[in-house]
Amino acid sequence: MSLPTVEIADVHKRFGRTTALDGVGFDAPTGITGLLGPNGAGKTTLLRMLATVLAPDSGSLRLLGWNPAVADERLAIRRRLGYMPQEPGFHQTFTAFEFVDYVAILKEMTDRKARHDEVARVLALVGLEGVMERKIKALSGGMRRRVALAQSLLGDPDLLVLDEPTAGLDPEQRLRFREIVSERASDRTVVLSTHQTEDVAALCPRVVVMLDGVALFDGTPRELTDVASGRVWLAPERSAAARLSWRTPDGSHRNIGEAPAGADLVAPTLEDGYLLLVGDRAFAEEAA
Amino acid sequence: MTAAWHADLQMLSAYADGGLDDVRASSIEAHLLSCETCRDLLAPAVPAATIDRVWQGVVIATVAPHAGIVERVLLRAGVRDDIARLLAATPSLRVSWFLAESLALGFAAFAANVAPGGGADAALFLFLVIAALAPVAGVAAAFGPGLDPTYEIGIAAPMRNERLLLMRTLAVLATSLAIAGLAAIALPGFDRAAIAWLLPSLGLCLTTVTLATWIRPVVAAIVVAMTWLAVAASVTAARSDPVAAFRSGGQVLALALIVISALVLSRRRVVYEGGVAA
Amino acid sequence: MTVRADGDEALLRAVAQGDREALEALYRRHAPWLMVRLSRRCSDPGLVEEVVQDTFVAVWRGAGRYRGTGEVPAWIWGIGIRRLIDRLRRSPAAVMREVPHDEVSISAEDQVLLGVEHGDLGTALGRLSPELRAVVQATVLDGLTTKEAATLLGIPQGTVKTRAARARRELREALA
Repeated sequence: MSLPTVEIADVHKRFGRTTALDGVGFDAPTGITGLLGPNGAGKTTLLRMLATVLAPDSGSLRLLGWNPAVADERLAIRRRLGYMPQEPGFHQTFTAFEFVDYVAILKEMTDRKARHDEVARVLALVGLEGVMERKIKALSGGMRRRVALAQSLLGDPDLLVLDEPTAGLDPEQRLRFREIVSERASDRTVVLSTHQTEDVAALCPRVVVMLDGVALFDGTPRELTDVASGRVWLAPERSAAARLSWRTPDGSHRNIGEAPAGADLVAPTLEDGYLLLVGDRAFAEEAA
Repeated sequence: MTAAWHADLQMLSAYADGGLDDVRASSIEAHLLSCETCRDLLAPAVPAATIDRVWQGVVIATVAPHAGIVERVLLRAGVRDDIARLLAATPSLRVSWFLAESLALGFAAFAANVAPGGGADAALFLFLVIAALAPVAGVAAAFGPGLDPTYEIGIAAPMRNERLLLMRTLAVLATSLAIAGLAAIALPGFDRAAIAWLLPSLGLCLTTVTLATWIRPVVAAIVVAMTWLAVAASVTAARSDPVAAFRSGGQVLALALIVISALVLSRRRVVYEGGVAA
Repeated sequence: MTVRADGDEALLRAVAQGDREALEALYRRHAPWLMVRLSRRCSDPGLVEEVVQDTFVAVWRGAGRYRGTGEVPAWIWGIGIRRLIDRLRRSPAAVMREVPHDEVSISAEDQVLLGVEHGDLGTALGRLSPELRAVVQATVLDGLTTKEAATLLGIPQGTVKTRAARARRELREALA
């Protein structure tokens, strides 16, 4: 049960001259793991590897106990995998139903009736039962994201790899998304990437912060929040000691960094911890 | 009309249970067709869950994909329905594609028939070139990122990508060759020249698919087509023979291409599966 | 669940325009009696459900073909019974509903009731053997062709014809 279902060790990947992954490594157990990080941190590259689309240059991967570099094991993984790419392509002339049905065929669902039932089920799950026969090109961006999410849920996979699943969703849809995913996470593994610290706070018992192709932090959201513990304070203006500082709606400034003596310390949030980590690293690079 | 009379509940429930004798059942059935009141009285006899379940079935059946012409032909030919759907989604397996190829070939064949002297030779050359290259374009358009928008999702799915690619390539080849074969009948002096494009076409297709394990399929197709076209045109010009490139030398070369490509492809095809270092 | 007060014909016109809610309203109104009536002709409930589904899918696709002649329920029934026959033709192994042999004596009250609908015909029908009655029901009351009736009843077409002829003779005698 507590055995890691996703094991990533010292994975490297280069695209031409760009280093996308630079020795990333962490384990993900059953449940939801959130990948947090700025653009270009390597989240998408890593998720594509977890989806068996891309192979690492070096390092090792084990997914659900299998090695994706071995053909038979890769097939076994794919049979238990749901993948929502960051920019899923659609046949524009397909309807939502046709698209998900098409993916279901690729997922080896050969029985027509059972497949159609399953397609209707996942579309209803993401709240698209009313637009099943609408052409993809006539759907809004948020609806397309949900179509993409729906296809990943086909066959109730053991490993769900979701790249930016909440991008483009309105708050209500985001809530519904969290509900759908957390309902499934009790005995399955979900790895998702996001820009939204709220997603992580609301959804993920584990969070991995990625920057420049490595895992900078690996722990619980609580622990990520604690990174900023004693390092967040409010001041009437931007504090010289702060690494990052921004104006809050009430006019005071929220500063994070090494607090000066006598500062008005406040309880940190997950976002404070994340910004401190990523900001720290960014500062270190600038100095180097 | 029959508003004065209504079936009583007892009789309706006996009817619903199948217990009522045929004569009275027939009587009720005739009445139900014209009496909304009695239809409503009968309705609770069917469990709401059944009604909902069947409704769900109606919804699915009405939104489920409609088979297009290509898909219906495939189904008629005995192709499994899920495979037929996958094939029908291939860009180069659409009616518009077939029409384009038929038009181009038809035009060339027509020109070969009516054009005087040297013009007819040029038209014959054109026909053979189109017949040989149309399948290459079709195959290139049948797979790969950029053309198949669901490529990435497809890779992550258990169906072997290589298998899908092979099915699509074969289907495109079969239709292209059939169209070119039909058009060849319209050539003047129907002889061996009419099918001289067959081997070169197969060789070029296979080379494209092989090359596409390194570069994008469209680029591979363009490189293959342009190279071959340049060679064919120069041979034709040098010998002032419209079918020079399709004579025995060209056929042997095509055969060699087929063999070499097949050998290389059998080692390279794993690239089409994704998830492996290429 | 939608509740629409429109008449059947108005609903059908809306369905022809692609109105799904109208289809659902029509379905909820007519699926129950259709299911019961089909169940009397086919004892496989799964098959009956499929036929009801087929029927409303056909209504969805063919609503535009309804010409406003005759009652909508009769039109729906016509689709339903033919879909059932299609299904039976494709899978002849499907269980046929046995012709009931429990001869229920018709009470005086029922006689009056039947008189309203069919007059003496009801009594005459009641006297027919179950096999002959099934043929009359299929060909006359359900309006099926000989071929369709043969599929529905699971007997050869020739048998349908001879039984229909015999039933006609017996009825003529009874009503004379």
